[in-house]
Amino acid sequence: MNDFNKPFGVIVAGVGGQGAITVAQLILGACWRSGFYALQSEIHGMSQRGGAVSANIVFDQVPVTSPVVTSGEANLLISMEPLEALRYLPLMAMDAKIISATVPVVNIDNYPELSSIFDNLKKITGVTIVDTDDCAKKLNYKHAGNMCLLGASSKFLPISDEVWKRVIEERFKSKGDQIIEQNWSAFEFGKKLLEK
Amino acid sequence: MKISEREIMVLGDEAVSWGAIDSGMKSVYAYPGTPSTEIFEGIEHIVSSLDDGRIAKWTANEKVAYEMALGTSYTGHRALVCMKHVGLNVAMDAFMNSALTGIRGGFVVAVADDPSMHSSQNEQDSRYLADFAHLPCLEPSTPQEAYDYTCQAFEISEILGVPVMVRLVTRLSHSRGVITRKENMNLPECLGIPPEDTKNDWVLIPSIAKRRYRQLREKLPKMLTVSAQYNKTSISGHRLGVVTCGMGRAYFNQLCREYPALKEYNRLDVCSYPLSLTDIRKFIKSCEEIYVFEENYPYLEDKIRDMGQGKRVYGRRDKSLPMDGELNPIILKKCMELPLAESKKESEVVVPARPPRLCDGCGHRDAFNSMKDALKNIGVDEPRIFGDIGCYTLGVMPPFDMINTCVEMGASVGMTLGAAEAGLEPSIGVIGDSTFFHSGLPTLISMAKSKTANANLVIVDNKITGMTGQQPTVAIDIFEDIARSFGFSEEQIHVLKPLPQKHEENVKYLENVFSQKRPDIIIFRRECVQALRKKLYQKYYQK
Repeated sequence: MNDFNKPFGVIVAGVGGQGAITVAQLILGACWRSGFYALQSEIHGMSQRGGAVSANIVFDQVPVTSPVVTSGEANLLISMEPLEALRYLPLMAMDAKIISATVPVVNIDNYPELSSIFDNLKKITGVTIVDTDDCAKKLNYKHAGNMCLLGASSKFLPISDEVWKRVIEERFKSKGDQIIEQNWSAFEFGKKLLEK
Repeated sequence: MKISEREIMVLGDEAVSWGAIDSGMKSVYAYPGTPSTEIFEGIEHIVSSLDDGRIAKWTANEKVAYEMALGTSYTGHRALVCMKHVGLNVAMDAFMNSALTGIRGGFVVAVADDPSMHSSQNEQDSRYLADFAHLPCLEPSTPQEAYDYTCQAFEISEILGVPVMVRLVTRLSHSRGVITRKENMNLPECLGIPPEDTKNDWVLIPSIAKRRYRQLREKLPKMLTVSAQYNKTSISGHRLGVVTCGMGRAYFNQLCREYPALKEYNRLDVCSYPLSLTDIRKFIKSCEEIYVFEENYPYLEDKIRDMGQGKRVYGRRDKSLPMDGELNPIILKKCMELPLAESKKESEVVVPARPPRLCDGCGHRDAFNSMKDALKNIGVDEPRIFGDIGCYTLGVMPPFDMINTCVEMGASVGMTLGAAEAGLEPSIGVIGDSTFFHSGLPTLISMAKSKTANANLVIVDNKITGMTGQQPTVAIDIFEDIARSFGFSEEQIHVLKPLPQKHEENVKYLENVFSQKRPDIIIFRRECVQALRKKLYQKYYQK
């Protein structure tokens, strides 16, 4: 299990419009509700236009002043896109865990061969690949991917189900009970993937 | 988020919003600009659920915003104006002279700098401008400080009778964390207009301006006293010292968690300017070698080195830190020769950059495509196009390669006209509707008078401030009327719809326009696809 008596760094990565910042905010809120001190950093600006987007979260038992995770200090990476998972490898600690989605966002001409990305990912210790397309189909909810990834990554975070449920409810309450329920199911689905 | 909640999770920018609200701010004016935009948006959101007569309005540009906020202050109300660093250049005249007029109601200028130029044309450091104007500046390093300092800035402004700057940087503006608000939210209060005996203080004719300038300079000792309450010196007797401010302070404090030995260093924590030279001198004396960690320019570093009695100062000037770009904990570690953590191996697959791009279905794509083909058809194979600041600046990228300059807000209009007068044919500028209102408007008057210059101003009009997150523009659908009233004839004004199915028609049309030896205004008008998706046009313009 991870050591939560020192600063713990999380990176949420994706492509503009995928919802990386939303997932990061859920983690930040969950850390706060669990009694940790936490800061999150995000780069906005041009992010809506298909560029690479990432958010950093640092949480600790004592006040955190730097919201930035740097080389070798990220303990967990949640990537909404397989190529983006590779982008942040140099920031990951040796024993860091990586959860990556399978569905690529191909909006550049020089996007590498998808199989070579997965081959590379599979060689790295601590990597879990979540078939987000399959999750969406099985749950019959096309936006299920992000919550499945969050559910899967929850295995590596010191946060209870009650807290996760609370932050997910707060985040989606303006969209109605059905959306809350769908997101919570997706979270649980993702969580179970790592229990098998 | 409920207004009554005291512990809230907010962006650094929104911490400033709450600070202003809780301090009884009456009005906020701003022009959008990353990373400062969310300060205004935070207030706008809160104000929409309060019913106490507060005002939050976007303006045409930062100078207008500054002047409107100054007008608010004149009436005795507290006012906030917010902008990005380069926005302060636009507001510079008002900023400099408001130091001489002084203020009535507390007046805070929140400025967000953008080291590393995440979304900017330069990384200028606003502390120099506060210094230049002889005005105080507070520099927070966490969202909580951003809240606290904003509250205090209103108080300090009224105590000293001058505007007070709160300086943020991108990394703080866009850091999210939990803040604790003060117990009571102050409602807007009014001190009344300047009384009879001071009413002429605001008239900066030479005789009064000279007196007001002297009085401003005479406030320095009082400013130093106020500022000194924020700046902490701790001398431990260690041979090393560290001077920190803003995010430099935040990163150093974080490293102290990992390396407790750093806590033994002598420290000078700077949170407020102007700085007492006596304090700096005392600090330098106590150290053998000094590190300086600050965002953007070597502002403190230069002072420390100048006064440094020959001591070694590690900073940007001696390349112990990179000359440009924002700091981060790794840069501090390398500078102090601390061990770096081992990391996973880099990807074997080459990871290509994923730059931002124009959205699929964006009208700017069609505008660039038709311009490109029209130019090719009239024999201009390598066009040179004067660009401006907005999403359409992305026209610099392939497959368009249709933007060749991006200088500052409105520059495209003046450069197009200047180049046309010097003989460039056709001379073409591309500007968005919001940027045109911001700083393009005055140049259009000159363009109307320049009868024979082949100057073509393309206004890509999506009726919104697109790039910063689709804020409303100050006016819509009035470009034709403006052009007419400035003296453009009907045959010089063109409205086109940038759509793929109109491509051939638009190409043909433009071939003719670009060939005319006269100024022309071409308005490509179509809604922003992001704003349409979010239904913002109904929200903004159908009230």
